[in-house]
Amino acid sequence: MKLFKSSLIALALASASSVYAESIAITNATVHTVTEQGTLTNATVVMDNGVITAINPKTVEADSTIDAMGKILTPGLIGSMNSLGLVEVSAVSRTRDASDKKADITFDASTAFNPKSAAIAYSRKGGITSNIVTPSGGESMFKGQAFIADLSGEYDSIVETNTAVLLNIGSKSKGSRALALQDLRHKLEDAKTALAKAESAAKEDKKKDAKEPKRDEKIINAILAGEKPLVAKADRATDILALLKLKQDFDLDLVIADAGDAVSVAAQIAEAKVPVIIATIDNLPSFDALHQSLKSATVLMDAGVTVAFKVNGDTHNLYQLRYDAGVAIANGVSKEQALAAVTANVADAFNYDAGRIAVGKKADLVLWSADPFELSSRVEKMWIDGVEHNTQSRHDALRDRYTTDSSMPRAYTK
Amino acid sequence: MQKFIPSLLVAAISVSLSACMQSEKQDEKVVFNKNPYPSTYQAIPSKTVLIKNATVLTGAGERIDNADVLMSNGKIEQVGNGLSADNAIEVDGSGKWVTPGVIDVHSHLGVYPSPSAESHSDGNEATQPNTSEVWAEHSVWPQDPGFQAARAGGITTLQILPGSANLFGGRGVTLRNVPSHTMQGMKFPEAPYGLKMACGENPKRVYGSRKVSPATRMGNMAGYRMAWSEATEYKRAWDKYEADYAAGKNPEAPTRDIELDTLKGVLDGDILIHNHCYKAEEMAMMIDLGKEFNYHSGTFHHAIEAYKIADLLAENGNCAAMWPDWWGFKMEAYDMVQENVAIVDAKANSCAIVHSDSGTTIQRLNQEAGKVMYRANENGFDIKPEHAITWITLNSAKSLGIADKTGSLEKGKNADVVLWNQNPFSVYAQAEQVFVDGAKVYDRFDEKYQAKSDFMLGQK
Repeated sequence: MKLFKSSLIALALASASSVYAESIAITNATVHTVTEQGTLTNATVVMDNGVITAINPKTVEADSTIDAMGKILTPGLIGSMNSLGLVEVSAVSRTRDASDKKADITFDASTAFNPKSAAIAYSRKGGITSNIVTPSGGESMFKGQAFIADLSGEYDSIVETNTAVLLNIGSKSKGSRALALQDLRHKLEDAKTALAKAESAAKEDKKKDAKEPKRDEKIINAILAGEKPLVAKADRATDILALLKLKQDFDLDLVIADAGDAVSVAAQIAEAKVPVIIATIDNLPSFDALHQSLKSATVLMDAGVTVAFKVNGDTHNLYQLRYDAGVAIANGVSKEQALAAVTANVADAFNYDAGRIAVGKKADLVLWSADPFELSSRVEKMWIDGVEHNTQSRHDALRDRYTTDSSMPRAYTK
Repeated sequence: MQKFIPSLLVAAISVSLSACMQSEKQDEKVVFNKNPYPSTYQAIPSKTVLIKNATVLTGAGERIDNADVLMSNGKIEQVGNGLSADNAIEVDGSGKWVTPGVIDVHSHLGVYPSPSAESHSDGNEATQPNTSEVWAEHSVWPQDPGFQAARAGGITTLQILPGSANLFGGRGVTLRNVPSHTMQGMKFPEAPYGLKMACGENPKRVYGSRKVSPATRMGNMAGYRMAWSEATEYKRAWDKYEADYAAGKNPEAPTRDIELDTLKGVLDGDILIHNHCYKAEEMAMMIDLGKEFNYHSGTFHHAIEAYKIADLLAENGNCAAMWPDWWGFKMEAYDMVQENVAIVDAKANSCAIVHSDSGTTIQRLNQEAGKVMYRANENGFDIKPEHAITWITLNSAKSLGIADKTGSLEKGKNADVVLWNQNPFSVYAQAEQVFVDGAKVYDRFDEKYQAKSDFMLGQK
C-alpha cells in the first residue's frame, strides 16, 4: 500500500513538473497589472514554474511565446464568499458539504472540496482562477474557516486552509441580534483575559499550571493576535458600527461582507480601514439594508472604502462576477477600480498573495477577447499557476450533443 | 355598474326566448361574472413624443438605423426615418437605442416582495396540490419597491405568477408596470389570465414530505389527470346547462366551484397555461396531457432542457421561457446549456423567451438576452440584436396573449417604449426613459419621473 501511494505521488509530481517545465511568454498584450504600474501596452509577461518571472524583459526567453495581438491580459479573477467545490447540486443533500448543524468556529470544510465539481470548470468561463471558499456552518454564529482553492480542477487545488474565521451578525428569525454581538464581545474579552493570565503565569514561572488552550480558543487567540481575518457578514449600519468598535477595542483584522447598509456609514468604515465585500447587483431593500443600491459600490469607493465584489448565491453563478463588476461600472465605478475589486482587493482582504501582475506573483492570468466586463467578450486563454487551462465544461458537451445532426439517438453523440 | 349586469341578463333571456319560442317558463339564467376584479388602470396623461435619430429595434425582427419613433395618444404612430410632427416633444436619440417596453412573463414581484417578510410571503398557497381557486392578483402588494427597480430596467409589462409548490398553483395576472396603490390600478386591461402549473421536484417534495400525494413524478401526472378529468365533467355540465337553457328548457344550474372555474377557463380557451417545467421528458408529457384533455399546453417556464426538445416545442406551438445561465440549484436544473434559448429559437415557428423569476435580474432582462446572443454566436449561431430583442418583447407578449396590444413598435400598438443609452445588449446599457402607453413613467435623469413606493418613503 505504501509503495503504491508513493508511486502515485511520484507520478503526480512527474506530470506536474512536466507541465511546469515549460516557460511561457505572452507578448504584445495590454496588461492590466492592478499595481502602481497601471496598464502597460504592447507588454510582455513571462511565467515560469507557476510564478511571473519577468515583465517587459529586454530579451524574451521562454519555451513558448503567445502573441496577444494587443488584447487585454488581467490577473485571474478571484471569487469569494461561496461554496464552490462544496456543493454540486444545491437541493441534493448528498452533494452538499458546506454546512453541518454541529459545525462551529473550527469547521474546516477544505477536506470536502471536490475539484471535479462541474461548477469549477463552468466558473473558469468567467475568468475565475481561484476562489475563497466560505462554508455556511451550522447553528453557531461562527460559520467555520474559509479556505483558498484554485480552479485548476486538479486534486492539488487547495492553496491554503484556515484562511479566515467566518461570522454572521444581524437579523434573526428567532431571538435577538444583540445576543450574538454580546457573545462575540464576551468571547474576545474572556480570551484576552485568559491570555493575560497565561502571560503573567509564564512570567512567574508557573508553566506547569498553564493549560493548553482548546482548539476553538486557539482560533479566537489567532483573531486577537491579528493572525487571521475575521470576516463578518452584516448588513445593518448598527451591526457594522458594532463590529468597527470591536475592531478598535481588540485590534482585529476585520472584513465585512454583504454590508448592505454600509453606504450609511461609509465614512466610518473608511476611517477604520475595513474592507467590505459586496454583491454589486443587490439593490432591493431588506429591513437590515434599506439603502443599498446599484450605486453602493461607487458611494463606498468614493468615501475611501476598499471594496471587493462577490456574486451572491451558492456557487453556480460565480462565473457572473465580471458582469456584476460591469454593472458597477455602469453605475459609476471606474474600470480600474472594478478590476481591483475582483482581483487584488479580494486577495488582500484574505491576506492572499495573488490578484496582481508583478514579478514573483502567482501566475494566474487571463487573456480576454475584448473588454473583460462585457457580455460579448470571453476568455481566450487562462493560466493557473502558469499552466494553461481551458474553459470547457459538461455544459458545452450537452450543447454539442443537441446541436449535432445524427441519425442515431442523441446518446451516441459524445 | 351593478345595474348594468342584470339588464344584460334580461337582454340575454329575451333573446333566447324570442329565438326559440319555447313555452316552458325559465328561471333567470345563472351567469357568473368572469371579471369580478376588473382593471381600473388608466394611462398616465401623455403628450406627443418624437424620438429622433436612434437605433431602433422594433421587436418585430427589424432594425432601423437613424430612425425616429413617434408616439401620440398613447399609441405608436409611426417608426421610420425623417419623421416630423407638430407640437411633439422631441427627444434626441443620437447614439441611443430604442426598443419596445420589456415584458417579463415570470415574476413574483408583489407576491414575494421586498423586504422579504413572512407577512408578505404570499406566493404559494402550499396547502393542497391543486389550488386552481387562488388568484395571484389577490396577493399582490403594489408597494413592492421591486416594481420601481424593474421599471428602471425598462420593464413595462409583467406577469405575476403564484409559486410552484402545487401542481396547480392558481391564476397569474398580467400587470402594467405603473405605480398604483391598488392591484386593479396596475392590471393590464383585457389581458387573459394565466394558470400556473408545476412539474417535477417542487410539488412532489412539498407534498411527499407530508406523506400525501404527489410524492413522485407519476403522482404529479396522476394529480393533473384527475383534476382535468373532473374539470372536463364540470365543463360538460355547464355546457349542457347552457345548451338546454338556449333550447328554452329550464335546467338546474350545476353547483359553482371556484377551483374548477379556473380549469374550465383553460378548457374554454380563455385562460393560458404557464407551466413551471424544467425537463425534456416532462415537457413532452405535458404537451400530450394537453392533447388528452383538449387544451393547449401553453408556455413552459424555467425550461432548462427545452433545447433537447426544440422541435417538439415548435411543432406544438409551445413557447419556452428560459434563463440564460441559471443552473445547479436543483437536480432538474443540472443540464443547463448557455445556448438553450438560441437552440429553441432556431426552429421554424418557435417562441423562445428570456424570463427572470427574480426581482434582481428582471432589472436587466436585456442583458440576460444579450448573454444568450453572444454565447450562441460564439458557437455557430448568427443572431442579431434585432432578433434577440424578440425574446423579451414580442415573444413574451405572444405567451401572455397580448401581442395584439404590445411587444413591438408597430403602428397602433400601445406606446410601450424604452430609450437606452446604448446597445441594450451591453453590460453598460441603462434605460434612460421608459414609456407606458405613451406616458413617461421613468427618467434616469429626472427625479420627477422616479416613483417611490410607500414603503421606502421617509425611511431613514
